[in-house]
Amino acid sequence: MIAVSILNGLAIGLLLFIVAVGLSLVFGMMDVLNLAHGALFLAGAYAAWFVAGENPTMAGFLAALGVAGLAGIVAGGGLSLLTEPLARRSHLDQALLTLGVALAVAELMALAFTKDVRAVNPPRGLDRAIDLFDSQYPVYRLAPIGIGLLLAAATHYVVERTPVGALIRATVDDRDMVAASGIDVRVVRVAVFAAGSALAMVAGVLGSPIYSARPGLDITILILALVVVVVGGLGSVRGVLLGALLIGQVESLGRALLSDLASFLLFGTLAVVLALRPHGLFRVAGGR
Amino acid sequence: MKYLTFAGSLAALAAAPFFLAPYATTTLTRILVFALLAVSLDLLVGITGLPSLGHAAYFGVGAYAAGWLATHGTSQALPQLGFAVAVGAVVAVAAGWVAVRSHGVFFLMLTLAIGEIIQQLAQSWTPVTGGSNGLYGIPATRIGDFVLTHIALLHWYATAVFAVGFTIVWCISASPLGATLRGIRDNEPRMRSLGYDPRRYKMMAFVIAGAVAGLAGGLLAAQQRLVTPADLGFTTSALALIAVVIGGAGRLWGACLGAALVVIVRDYLGPDLGGHGPLVLGLVFIAVVYALPRGFAGLRRRVAS
Amino acid sequence: MEATAFNRLLSRRTLLGAAGAAGLLAALPGCGSSVGEQAATTAGGSIKIGLVIPQAGVYAPLGTDMKRAWDLFLERHNNKLGNYTVTTVTADEGETPQTGVPAVQKLLQSDRVDVLVGIVNSAVALGVKDMVVEAKKLLIVSNAGANDITGKARTPYIWRTSFTNSQVSAVMGKVLAGTAPAGVFAIAPDYAAGAEAIAGFTGTFQAGGGKVLGPAKPAFGKTQDYQPFLSQIQTSGAQATFCFFAGAEAVAFVKQYQQFGLSGKIPLYGSGFLTEGGVLTAQGDAALGVQTTLHYTSELDNPANKEFRSAYEGKYQAVPTVYAVQTWDAALVLDRALRKATALDGDTLSKALESVGSVQDSPRGPWTFEGQNPKQTFYLRKVEMKDGKPVNAVVRDMGVSGQPAT
Repeated sequence: MIAVSILNGLAIGLLLFIVAVGLSLVFGMMDVLNLAHGALFLAGAYAAWFVAGENPTMAGFLAALGVAGLAGIVAGGGLSLLTEPLARRSHLDQALLTLGVALAVAELMALAFTKDVRAVNPPRGLDRAIDLFDSQYPVYRLAPIGIGLLLAAATHYVVERTPVGALIRATVDDRDMVAASGIDVRVVRVAVFAAGSALAMVAGVLGSPIYSARPGLDITILILALVVVVVGGLGSVRGVLLGALLIGQVESLGRALLSDLASFLLFGTLAVVLALRPHGLFRVAGGR
Repeated sequence: MKYLTFAGSLAALAAAPFFLAPYATTTLTRILVFALLAVSLDLLVGITGLPSLGHAAYFGVGAYAAGWLATHGTSQALPQLGFAVAVGAVVAVAAGWVAVRSHGVFFLMLTLAIGEIIQQLAQSWTPVTGGSNGLYGIPATRIGDFVLTHIALLHWYATAVFAVGFTIVWCISASPLGATLRGIRDNEPRMRSLGYDPRRYKMMAFVIAGAVAGLAGGLLAAQQRLVTPADLGFTTSALALIAVVIGGAGRLWGACLGAALVVIVRDYLGPDLGGHGPLVLGLVFIAVVYALPRGFAGLRRRVAS
Repeated sequence: MEATAFNRLLSRRTLLGAAGAAGLLAALPGCGSSVGEQAATTAGGSIKIGLVIPQAGVYAPLGTDMKRAWDLFLERHNNKLGNYTVTTVTADEGETPQTGVPAVQKLLQSDRVDVLVGIVNSAVALGVKDMVVEAKKLLIVSNAGANDITGKARTPYIWRTSFTNSQVSAVMGKVLAGTAPAGVFAIAPDYAAGAEAIAGFTGTFQAGGGKVLGPAKPAFGKTQDYQPFLSQIQTSGAQATFCFFAGAEAVAFVKQYQQFGLSGKIPLYGSGFLTEGGVLTAQGDAALGVQTTLHYTSELDNPANKEFRSAYEGKYQAVPTVYAVQTWDAALVLDRALRKATALDGDTLSKALESVGSVQDSPRGPWTFEGQNPKQTFYLRKVEMKDGKPVNAVVRDMGVSGQPAT
């Protein structure tokens, strides 16, 4: 039982990583807490149901992933433009604007898809269960593990080893200096917003066989993503990965071992981490 | 001039039951309760610069305390309110001790975490809090031999308590303590170099804000005669924070206007909106954030100039 | 910065003026007086009924079913209940008492309705009790299942046409009593309804000599991934699982129950809400073979249900659910009561309801009030495929039961 829980924690954790990495980069770079991030995840889940249907084929599912990626880029660009006029105002204003957008978008989706749950089965081929440690485990849940690890490796490579990554790191450290050296920070901002939003929507498609598209899922995922990002330390990919893995285990292994305290585990972990390390586990050097 | 406006507003509030229909008066009473919560949060957010996403916890804890006392002890108004304030303050001391070490978004999330833990406690501790059904059937508050069930009586009671709470926060804001808090908000390192201990002052602000929130909670127990875990949770905290921002952080009367807007949209118009309440609320937030950079409070400056 | 025409239009002054004007307009209905006696608003021969249903939030699908059934009944009765012409005012209960209590308050104080019908959230139903009693108006609860509503908190002003949480699960306890010697694992979310369901099941199951394992209590509204609990069920050695879930949690649990391979090895049983309405469509194949107990299924084979179902499907192109039937029955008993009532206040109507007696022509089968709650027939249902769609087929008639003593 413990082994299955650990594996499950890995799956949930890496799915959360895919959702949270965009949120962390946007906040680290732009100091904008994008509270519409959860709504993007939900939009991705609805997209999976709409494009691929309830019993998707692999082709349909891949198509849904593509659609979500493109829609996410557009949505991210739009969000970036919406928050641009508020660039000099307080973080609270920006966060609340995105919250207003999140509420409105969630309502519009409920109007479009009704308030019933829209469940999506894993794509054909991945909808079996395998025997694992004397019980069964759904094969599909291994997908986020593979994709999440690939993404973590890719993000690490891009951020640490490429000029684009250097630009991103520089902007996280000192935005004004980057602007002073002649680079249009607005382009960087739109690009990061777009990439982060695309990741959120793709995560929504990936998560739909596990979570199902329904009203309220946006707030649930937003809170999980926020906890991951804050626990890990803002603006750091390594921090998000560690935070996501930790929260994944808390939600799986933690609930299995401490079932009486299950309701308190998530926020208890956040409170303990922040009480001991007030800036999260990985403080970005020179960051805020 | 300010005192005249304040006195005038109070008089208008007191006169309300004579020219407002019953449900409008009830809504106004509800606005007063929420406004007191928003004002207490403004002390924390606007004046001290500590954005809290878990402030409803002290509000709810105060409400539960007052409701519990009314059910098991006395339903007299003063003991109820006193107990609510005391419990709110005690919980704020414990929470603040952990929280004020953080800054910015970390403080935000830590207060959220503490608030959620307290809400979960309220939901799980069924013998005391009534669990997910909450404390229902709270006996009506009494002042001496007067039972406050009539809409108008309840409204005057709420106006009186609101006036007291608002005055307390206003006095603090206008006092040297308020100036110190604003200094910490604007430039903490400088204040430290001047010899102030920011942590001590932040703690003071946190506990006072928690106590006033508890007072508002005591009022809630009297007005609604029902306290549920939802009153403690993220939604209430977020709406209070939104009310403060809409009103213009730092301007106490702005927080009251923001609270009025939120309550009117949710409770007065909400039941008729066929389920689209959240959409309307979201659109209102977007509109206000764009159009009013300094909230409602910014309007006065503009109109005057 | 130059002021363009647009900027001038959008200037603070204009906005303030517009907001003020809009506010005044919205406030007009608020004029009046809260001091002094309130005049009645309904003339003789007509009645104003407040329908309290969730239209926002997770319970909204139930609200839709409730409103549909209500409208259908009125349509088929010339918009009359008894001999009174009906005006229905709908108020959105929302998701929590924070929105539910104001909704009921608005109906009572602003719209001045004569009767209240509906309510899904038990906390709301319990929370408005004082309000309803002080206003002396009748409330017919057509969903909220908390035992206390017609138990510890009973009042002559609040009647119910739905169920109590323990009543529904107690029947499943009878079904499984004497089976599964190694034990049945009980699981329900950590809130009042879940606790009452498990208590009801445990009562009758243990009385029949059974052993209950667990119970497990996943956090209510905060659990999306049931793997830790499913592992717990597997290692417990249970031979069956009893659960209580509704809405999105029912979908998640049933689907994951199948995905983790338990559905073939450890049969799943539950209170009927597990597979009722839209959740069954979302569960799809995962729900096949799941058995539940409930006081209604769309597959019931009695004349009243056949007629009700064809009318409902004809008008809405959807299959009726228990939530619809409960509200239909609320209209039905109100119709009966109003034929005998001489006035519309709570005391008169409450006495009229007492004399309604046994209801023979309800789609759920015959039932009668017992302690202001229905004493009704329960059915053991099983999810099967019919014409390519999953339905709750009737396995057995479990006889009549009332609310268990708490």
